[in-house]
Amino acid sequence: MVANYKSVFDIIGPIMIGPSSSHTAGAVAIGRAANKVFNGLPEKITVHYYESFAQTHKGHGTDYAIISGILGFNPDDSRVPDAINTAKSKGMTVKFIEEKEDSPINHPNTAIINLQSIDKEITLAGCSIGGGTIEVRGIKMDGFDIKPQGPLPIVLIKGNSTDKKIAEEKLNKLTQIHKFNRYSSSNKQKQMFEYDLSRQLRVDEVAKLSNKLPELIYL
Amino acid sequence: MYESVKELVKDAEEKGLSISELMIQQEILENQGTRQEIWQRMEQNLLVMQDAAKRGVTGKGVHSKTGLTGGEAVLLKKYRQEKTSLSGDVMLSAVQNAISTNEVNASMGVVCATPTAGSSGTLPAILFTITDRLNLSHEQMVRFLFTAGAFGMVIANNAGIAGATGGCQAEVGSAAAMGAAAAVEAAGGTPRQSSEALAMAISNLLGLVCDPVAGLVELPCVKRNAIGAGNGLISADMALAGLTNKIPADEVIQAMDKVGKGLPRALRETGIGGVAGTPTGLKLKMKIFGKKVMGD
Repeated sequence: MVANYKSVFDIIGPIMIGPSSSHTAGAVAIGRAANKVFNGLPEKITVHYYESFAQTHKGHGTDYAIISGILGFNPDDSRVPDAINTAKSKGMTVKFIEEKEDSPINHPNTAIINLQSIDKEITLAGCSIGGGTIEVRGIKMDGFDIKPQGPLPIVLIKGNSTDKKIAEEKLNKLTQIHKFNRYSSSNKQKQMFEYDLSRQLRVDEVAKLSNKLPELIYL
Repeated sequence: MYESVKELVKDAEEKGLSISELMIQQEILENQGTRQEIWQRMEQNLLVMQDAAKRGVTGKGVHSKTGLTGGEAVLLKKYRQEKTSLSGDVMLSAVQNAISTNEVNASMGVVCATPTAGSSGTLPAILFTITDRLNLSHEQMVRFLFTAGAFGMVIANNAGIAGATGGCQAEVGSAAAMGAAAAVEAAGGTPRQSSEALAMAISNLLGLVCDPVAGLVELPCVKRNAIGAGNGLISADMALAGLTNKIPADEVIQAMDKVGKGLPRALRETGIGGVAGTPTGLKLKMKIFGKKVMGD
């Protein structure tokens, strides 16, 4: 069993602005994941919705929830309902597309987020599996096509074999590594390592890891 | 981590500990927090639940932007004060707390998802009702939430808790089951009786579809939480009286997963089937979103 729900607070919580944990709080979480991968604020945001998300995003406030996450807000932040205006006032363009076909990552609550600025572009495919918990099943960045199994937390590290060794030594001390994947960039010149962990890391633990591994992404 | 209800009950029986205590110990061990941190975080959740239940019955109550829901928790409060209710005041206090909380959720107020926002009224309704009935202490209230969370984790990891994948049985059904199991512990029942209460509560709502009008968490979601709370309390009482479900909790959870997977997409949070697809449901959808809505 791959446990998606690893903490009692995944079930009792999160504290959030209504009305839907999967379409609102989960949407914030998918947006936050995209924010971490992009590492900064984009100029152009395009969100593709599938299935239940495509049918019901308007009523659930999914639009502003996703944008809140992309801006780095938490699900209980009072700025959440006004996030689209905030993004536009920062000069970002925002577009939502209701896709008619089935989710390419095989889940009814799917959002695929594309973020762009002059010098970078990322795409993140996430799904909201209930109660505010999400999975990330696809990331495109820096010429990498990363396809995680889904459950979080996931640590991504771009680097060489020395970085890999440091990462494994540090992560093994903190928790168990469920799954490991290695990816090569499209030009074969760079490598990305993916570690699926058995528990969420605390903020201070992530900060310590990032000190040693500046290119680390923690989802 | 506990992979089944059976494991959870067995461990509680062997160690002579309550489910809430096992949950706290697991959280300390697996997520590296101190007991105090974890306890305080749960107290914070409780506070949010108490505020939401209160807010929905303060003054004229709360109203959603669409006008589909709101103000009905206040009607219940008034009815309880002025009339003799049919199902008794204990039951109606549960109904009031459930509806109040979900009206706050529908009006985009702050709630604690238990396990989801759409089902956020069920668990607090059970908790606040038995708190009054049994004079539970603050500590017992917090423990109730840990017990509910322990059972909820097993349900979520084995079946799921999203209406879009499992229907409302996975949301209000799971919330009722978590509440039933936790209520048994709070009332002095055994871990085995908690698992029976859980099995009965899920069985009672098996097959419940997710059919929100206009795709909004309002109709019929708000009132379904009242039924979830009632179901949870009744299931807990049945278990405490010694009734058993015969089909074990883990098998019922598996059944819920299979039923959810068998539900057509129209009945899994798409706002297409069920009451969402009735002439009035469709009319309301048109009124709220106009013509530019998919799925018509």
